[in-house]
Amino acid sequence: MDFGSFLAAPEIKIRIVTYRDIFQDKAMIENRFGEEYRDRSAIIKLDAADLKQLNVKKGDTVILSNSFGRIVVKAEESGYDTPHRGLAYMPNSPWSNMLVSDETGGTGVPKFKDISVTVTSAKGEKVTEFKP
Amino acid sequence: MEKNYYVCTGCGLLCDDIEVESEKNIINKVYTACRVGVAHMKEVRGEAGFRVDNAPVDEATAIREAASILKNAKNPLIFGLGTSTDEAQKLAIELARKTDATLDDTSSFCLGPLVEALLQDKIKTCTLDDVRNKADVIIFWGADPSDSHPRHLSKHSYFPRGSEKQRGWEEERTAIAIDVRKSHTAKICGNYFFQIPPEGDAEFIDALIAALSGKLPKTSYNYPPKKILELANILKGAKFGVIFAGLGLIYSLKDMEPVFRLMKALNEKANFQLVPMVGHYNMRGFNENLYAETGYVNRVKFENGTVKHGPEYSVVESLKAKTVDAALIIGSDPLSSLPRSVSKNLLEIPVISIDPCETLTSKHSKVYINTAISGVESGGSATRMDGIKVSFKPVVETARLSDEATLKKIMEAL
Repeated sequence: MDFGSFLAAPEIKIRIVTYRDIFQDKAMIENRFGEEYRDRSAIIKLDAADLKQLNVKKGDTVILSNSFGRIVVKAEESGYDTPHRGLAYMPNSPWSNMLVSDETGGTGVPKFKDISVTVTSAKGEKVTEFKP
Repeated sequence: MEKNYYVCTGCGLLCDDIEVESEKNIINKVYTACRVGVAHMKEVRGEAGFRVDNAPVDEATAIREAASILKNAKNPLIFGLGTSTDEAQKLAIELARKTDATLDDTSSFCLGPLVEALLQDKIKTCTLDDVRNKADVIIFWGADPSDSHPRHLSKHSYFPRGSEKQRGWEEERTAIAIDVRKSHTAKICGNYFFQIPPEGDAEFIDALIAALSGKLPKTSYNYPPKKILELANILKGAKFGVIFAGLGLIYSLKDMEPVFRLMKALNEKANFQLVPMVGHYNMRGFNENLYAETGYVNRVKFENGTVKHGPEYSVVESLKAKTVDAALIIGSDPLSSLPRSVSKNLLEIPVISIDPCETLTSKHSKVYINTAISGVESGGSATRMDGIKVSFKPVVETARLSDEATLKKIMEAL
């Protein structure tokens, strides 16, 4: 068990893989500043064991942070059959892009689908908003 | 009764069998299209508008201001164009040449390297019609068309009864997914889902190549060799195999060499083609148009009549290094779609946003020109993900300028 688990608010290190979601895409076309797009984008799908370690319930907000940014999103359970502790999934969106490194090794291709962050409970803090 | 079909410009499939009901230039119903296509064609529109410094202005003022930004810039960035017609793209290339600009599109950080390889005949490819009519083994690699290209499986790749595949998916097609997560497409593939760890693609490719020639496939993540050998056997038997390559595959590779190796090995044993899962409806068109003009598919810098090319002229590196001093963004929202650690530098330079809808980028632009949705409110031509040219007419009329008309006016004002 890593040290983070013993802190008052447990924090764990997570690798995020982003993906496309048709319902989220549709919501973006209809209104990219709307609630539906936010609700379908500002989420992270975690392994059930990671949720437990973080001491957060499904639907609670969590803070995702690294040296590039900090966002608050809703935690969900992934529901995948295979366990994936330490790996989590997020739809690709302005929220996930807040955390993507600018380090590209000069290739011009950021690691959109491979984001390392620390996760901790947001203790009720609201989801990050992108207002125009 | 003769039907009037439209083309959906919602994604790289450019579905050409769409019917609509419209009245007074408002689309009430859309038939045949997918969820994304319907939303795209019925997109809610506010009033047409031109803005400078977030205040409404008339067309002439916005065009004049845009031209003046480009004229005063030493190295403007022209970026976007994946959702513009061929005609608009060609004008943007001309504009880039005229203003000594850096020109790039989204393929720069997605499928550009694969499209380039196809244009240079480094990889065998085919059309989606070939897939529908002939394909017996279909691989979705790092791609989830059920979410990104919703009619891909039903219209082209898996479910249809093609001319040489009358027994369809039940008997004559095998769909395989290779991915890091069980996507909706992977679920359809059932037992033919091969789950690999993130960035495990190159190793999986080499293990598969070993298995194709009867060697024991090994990976550092201990993928069961038996499963890879089973996969190799299916692929060896393919009479017309297709790999649909998505971003999951591309992002995990340092370069395209593993893909070239795999295609070579597959074609020594069977018959395989590759089609990139192009997202934006005319990203491939941009690559082809720029290639015809310069010999490069993206990432170019025009300078006194010459063309330079390289990663330093990519949208990401040029914004990161702050080498560009103004930006013309056409049909794209880099403040949302690029890492904020990179796109934040856009906030320091004057930006012209040409887009049919308000975006974070348009809200932070010095000049915003609200244009027609191409394929819905304006016509033109584009290239489908498989290289087929598609022409389309507008579904409804609008007073908004098309991208093409906007670029023409900016060019005249220069």
